[in-house]
Amino acid sequence: MEKVLEVKDLVVRYETDDGIVHAINGLSFSIDKERTLGLVGETGAGKTTAALSILNLVPDPPGVIAGGSIILDGKDVLSMGEKELERMRGNDVAMIFQDPMTALNPVIPVGQQIAESLEIHEGLSREEAMEKAKQMLEQVGISASRAYDYPHQLSGGMKQRVVIAIALACQPSLLIADEPTTALDVTIQAQVLSLMKGLIDNSHMSMLLITHDLGVVAEVCDDVAVMYAGRIVEIGSADDIFNHTLHPYTEGLFDSLPNLKARGEDLIPIKGLMPDPMHLPQGCSFHPRCPYATEACKTREPELKKAEGSHYVACIRYNESSFCLRRDKDAR
Amino acid sequence: MIPTLLVTSLLIFWAMDLAGGDPVNQILPENATYEQREILREQMGFNDPFMVRYFRYIGGILSGDMGKSYISGLDVFGTFMGRLHMTLLLGGSALIFACLISVPLGIYTALHQNTWKDTLATVLALFGVSMPNFWLGLMLILLFSLKLGWLPSGGTGGIQYLVLPAVTVGLSLAALLTRTTRSAMLDVIRQDYMTTAKAKGASYRRVIYNHGLRNAMIPIVTAVGMQFSYVMTGSALAETVFGWPGIGRLVVDSINKRDTPMVTGSIILCCVLMAIINLAVDIVYAFCDPRIKAQYSGRS
Repeated sequence: MEKVLEVKDLVVRYETDDGIVHAINGLSFSIDKERTLGLVGETGAGKTTAALSILNLVPDPPGVIAGGSIILDGKDVLSMGEKELERMRGNDVAMIFQDPMTALNPVIPVGQQIAESLEIHEGLSREEAMEKAKQMLEQVGISASRAYDYPHQLSGGMKQRVVIAIALACQPSLLIADEPTTALDVTIQAQVLSLMKGLIDNSHMSMLLITHDLGVVAEVCDDVAVMYAGRIVEIGSADDIFNHTLHPYTEGLFDSLPNLKARGEDLIPIKGLMPDPMHLPQGCSFHPRCPYATEACKTREPELKKAEGSHYVACIRYNESSFCLRRDKDAR
Repeated sequence: MIPTLLVTSLLIFWAMDLAGGDPVNQILPENATYEQREILREQMGFNDPFMVRYFRYIGGILSGDMGKSYISGLDVFGTFMGRLHMTLLLGGSALIFACLISVPLGIYTALHQNTWKDTLATVLALFGVSMPNFWLGLMLILLFSLKLGWLPSGGTGGIQYLVLPAVTVGLSLAALLTRTTRSAMLDVIRQDYMTTAKAKGASYRRVIYNHGLRNAMIPIVTAVGMQFSYVMTGSALAETVFGWPGIGRLVVDSINKRDTPMVTGSIILCCVLMAIINLAVDIVYAFCDPRIKAQYSGRS
């Protein structure tokens, strides 16, 4: 299948006064045309940094993209010039940000903020762009008459719809949504998600959905990548990840969710905390928290290996023929 | 505003009273007799108690009479207004000059934060803030009037007379405004909506000027407003150095001559002026930030 985006061995560091933060350490994944990939991980796993890297918008300084490649429609984003980047941003790849409260400019009417990308990329005049911006507002379920309102006059959910309208205005081939529903309350979350899903299916876009909410992933995503400490630990179709879990960390994520089939049972949290990205442990970065860890895990870094079809996993113990996660044992 | 003016007038009236010196000495010729002086004192009410004199003065102001100068015999309000446009001209051009330098420089230093360019600008700004106005004025006169002979050293006339005083006053303002613009921009640059704008594909210039500067305007306008009232009422030094017939010099001259009505009246009028400028700044806020406008119009 045709690939819209291919990220290979991406390395991103933040060089701060206190030390070097290893945010992304050899990240590789790809998104096929008209597919939605969910990027899942805890806070601090490097999800947002990965998203910003795709637009080459990692704040510099202190951020440094130290290696790897990000191929978008056959071109490497990391070697694009400033002009090329400006043409790409918003036009080929658009981004929806985490917090709609701060993502909109408080002193510019929302219609104008949508119109701006149309003016930039489609060369429309101010009036034409505004007309189209109003259509976009209608598409995300906001009355066109509110185009002249300022962000502070809209509710949180409406603001996020405006952010979506901005992102979709120029019909990008890839949409990056960075926890688009985290800042919204639960009832609005469902609305916004189904709105996004509908718009994406209609316009044949691909999407990278960043989230820490596995429920959202199950609802929206075709493929899932699980990220830990700046690396992919497991990637595959949603079915692979949810029903044929291979990595201990993924299992830990599922165990910490309430299960309808086992009501009243205690949740099993993943013990410990995400390692400090300034001092990542040697070997597999998950080993200090992993119930299956062996001596080898402390020294050897696992590579992402093919398990079956499009299902890949990065775990040393997966190679042992007798190795089996507790989840699978229970299922048997 | 009214209480402020009342307190100010009382303070300044009291200060002039404490300052001592007898205006009678200034009004009458040197060889006037003791009796003549005493009669004049009685006539002008100088022998009345302090509070009586103060309330008589306030009463006058309330009925629209700010009194007459002891020295020239001219109406205080008229004299002040006659000088106002000169100070407005000087203050306005100094401020425009300051803005022209400091806003671009502030943005530039914010964008190059913690580089040698930023440090250099910071050092220059510190230098600008610390440099006394009158000294800078004298140095500029030395260089441009005496050495190079390009510009007149003082007085009024065409635009060439305005350049040196405006630059003198403007440079010290520019130093402070640069720092304000820099910190306002630094605040704004880190905001999420700047990333949104970049992610839309907006060019660097567009991001900085359309999205950044508009949000950074509030602290900048505040600083400009404060500076403007400062220039309007506090440029006495520069006006003295350059012989500029503005309000600052009027007040200084009047203090030296113990011209109480002139001093008190001028300072009260300066307070009114400050209040008007502050009001204007508040109105400009509403144009900068729609959230403030919404507060004023009573809906959110």
